[in-house]
Amino acid sequence: MFSQAWSLLKQDHWLLSFATWVPMLVALTLWWIFAQGTPRQLPVGVVDLSHSHSARTFMQTLQASPTLQLHRVYADATEAKTALVNGDIYAYSVIPSDFERGLLLGLPPRVSTFYNSQYILTGRLISSAVMAAQATFNAEVETLKTLMRGDQTAAGAVSLSVPIQTQVTALFNRNNNYAQFLVSAMVPALWQILMVVITIMVLSTYVRQQGLQAWLKGHPVRALLSALWPFMLLFWLQGLAFLLWFYVGLGWPFHGDFTTLMVAQALTVVASTIMGVLFYFLTLDAAHSMSFAGAFTAPSFAFLGVTFPVSDMVGLAQFWRDLVPVTHYIGVQIDQANYGLSAWASLSPMWVMVGYAVPALVAFWLIKRHLKRQRQPNPTTGGEPDLSAVASPASATGVKL
Amino acid sequence: MKPTPAAPPLSFWALLKAEVHAVFTNQVAVLTMFGGVIFYSFLYPLPYEKQTPLALPIAVVNLDGSAVSRELERMVDATPQVRVVKREYTLADAQADFLAQRIRGYLVIPEHFYRDLRLGRSVTLAYAGDATYFLVYGTLVEGLVAAGGTLAAQTKVERLLMAGEPVALAAEQFAVTDINMKPTFNPTIGYMNYVVPAVFVLILQQTLAMAAGLITGSQKGQHGYWVQNGAARVIWVRALVLVTIYYLLSLYYFGFSFLFHDVYPIGTMGDTLTLLLPFLLTTTFIGIWLGLVAPRREWVSAVVLMSSLPLVFSVGFIWPVEAMPSAIVWLSYVFPSTPGIQGFLSLNQMGADWPQVWPKYAILWGQVLFWGSLCHWQFRKQFSASNPKN
Repeated sequence: MFSQAWSLLKQDHWLLSFATWVPMLVALTLWWIFAQGTPRQLPVGVVDLSHSHSARTFMQTLQASPTLQLHRVYADATEAKTALVNGDIYAYSVIPSDFERGLLLGLPPRVSTFYNSQYILTGRLISSAVMAAQATFNAEVETLKTLMRGDQTAAGAVSLSVPIQTQVTALFNRNNNYAQFLVSAMVPALWQILMVVITIMVLSTYVRQQGLQAWLKGHPVRALLSALWPFMLLFWLQGLAFLLWFYVGLGWPFHGDFTTLMVAQALTVVASTIMGVLFYFLTLDAAHSMSFAGAFTAPSFAFLGVTFPVSDMVGLAQFWRDLVPVTHYIGVQIDQANYGLSAWASLSPMWVMVGYAVPALVAFWLIKRHLKRQRQPNPTTGGEPDLSAVASPASATGVKL
Repeated sequence: MKPTPAAPPLSFWALLKAEVHAVFTNQVAVLTMFGGVIFYSFLYPLPYEKQTPLALPIAVVNLDGSAVSRELERMVDATPQVRVVKREYTLADAQADFLAQRIRGYLVIPEHFYRDLRLGRSVTLAYAGDATYFLVYGTLVEGLVAAGGTLAAQTKVERLLMAGEPVALAAEQFAVTDINMKPTFNPTIGYMNYVVPAVFVLILQQTLAMAAGLITGSQKGQHGYWVQNGAARVIWVRALVLVTIYYLLSLYYFGFSFLFHDVYPIGTMGDTLTLLLPFLLTTTFIGIWLGLVAPRREWVSAVVLMSSLPLVFSVGFIWPVEAMPSAIVWLSYVFPSTPGIQGFLSLNQMGADWPQVWPKYAILWGQVLFWGSLCHWQFRKQFSASNPKN
């Protein structure tokens, strides 16, 4: 049985590549994009209308933030706006002309910061970094002022200027590592695409080589399973491989249990394979099924609920989300990696995956129908399905040398 | 084998007719182009319908129990970002709620909060939020910090009043400088404005590449007008047909679809249409090339599907290019998605003038040259075997 799968891979270099190095390369690329973990030194600008000592102190405070890098000081707001549109900077702060005077007189000058919120993630990072820098500046100036009045100790001066301090704890992703956050969700989404693609390719190869009748007549389920299970095992190993890469290789925090995750992955493999089988037998044409597979799997990352919370998705979005196998898996992965939930608590929401019995039954019914149809008169050559006859490259009247 | 008696090359109109016929009778290509583009225009934005997460459930652990601390609880509850759903008495209870996913974060008001505040000591409020989900975490912290900030301001004003400052002055002096953050280009910081204008460009690219590849792949190994009319002519006529179709589909995206999702492009129509030309041309060439190199046409779809995630994340609208390895940035400029999405975002969301977008436009024409030549070379190589010159 393995030998059959192996000979399939040996003949078809593209299938072999997609089963091995292509997904690895894509996953590595994704990781490499985010390898830095947290963006640092993002370019920002300042429009200095004050030209004062205090303005320079303010700019130094901005520059001191690890997230920000003072790219340039602009003479006027128009120039800075142009730079913002060009993408040279992600934000600019306008220091008003009466900055120093306001500070001295106790009339708080307003520093406006325009940040590029089109790029939400970057925008948010910049916005909180600028706010933190400005708060630091405020506290420093105020503490100094209080101390100069001479009636306070240093600690008293600090508490007067900052009566309530805040301590924010990021649970489960302590240093806000975006690589961990995004890549650990992207790779399963990619895995999902790959599983459906390979399932369709394998099925279409069998039909092309043996013909639907010869292959599936008699015991369709047994024939299907014997063709697919080596690949399902491969998918499962791929799943295990990325887990090992994340939590052992890259050393991302993991508080749970690998076995639980492997069970969840096994269920995901079964569900994804079923969807692949369904798509293929909908039309019996690989190219058609790939279009369906694309529509189904390509947007799954958006539906995972990692970038945008599931609780804030509308009903229809939640419904679509429930159809996609990998969304059931990602919850278990997060539960295990971060919260270390018990196997039972973590796996029990997956029971809804029994619902994939429905597409499995539909696929079975479709197979029966295709078999019956092809046994009827008007047999197309070599088990070629009628639906794909329009533009099938395979056994049409090709001119071959 | 004897080729069919040397058929004379078709006239331009006949070739165009043959090509239009080939495109529209190719079921898969039609399904991918029209079905794909329209289906995605509704499906993809679906998760972001609500634009930004609000009213996230949190718990408050009030170890103080004073009137001021309850006031703070009310202030927290009043922020749009969070909603207090639980009041717990110990930290452990709050942590248990969190693990059971009843809450997304919690606020701890320390013991003697009120007393220390009165005594002029600096007190510390502790917030905890789930940083596994960054948007949730950001929203949560934003809400909690805002409430804490309001109370801090009130406290300061109160202290100044007690120290004998007049009300107006005291209210003004609570901060040294006034912080005024202005979100620009996407003033509501809505997710729809963030995702739709960028991802839709990628969808245009991916479906067009697939369609061009599927049409080309369907003709491979067969004899037809594509063999006898010279690579360049066939490629250009194919590009003409597909680019025309995609101009219409782009109008649907930039026109109807954007407005449907409350995204308002501010660029001029002329600029958008101009920028589209090299974008669509390059994409068509990539598609044709893929169709030629792929052993069977379904592999075109497989390759395009696998490429989507790396392409979209290397553009720089999600993750800043400054934080990417430069090799990735350079590589991403080989594909139309990077200069394309950057260009369309600048034009339509940020209100750039044409000279500001010009570099992206030039890069796209460079790609037309590169992919066009590659495509031409591959086309000749592919079909010269079955088209012996005689």
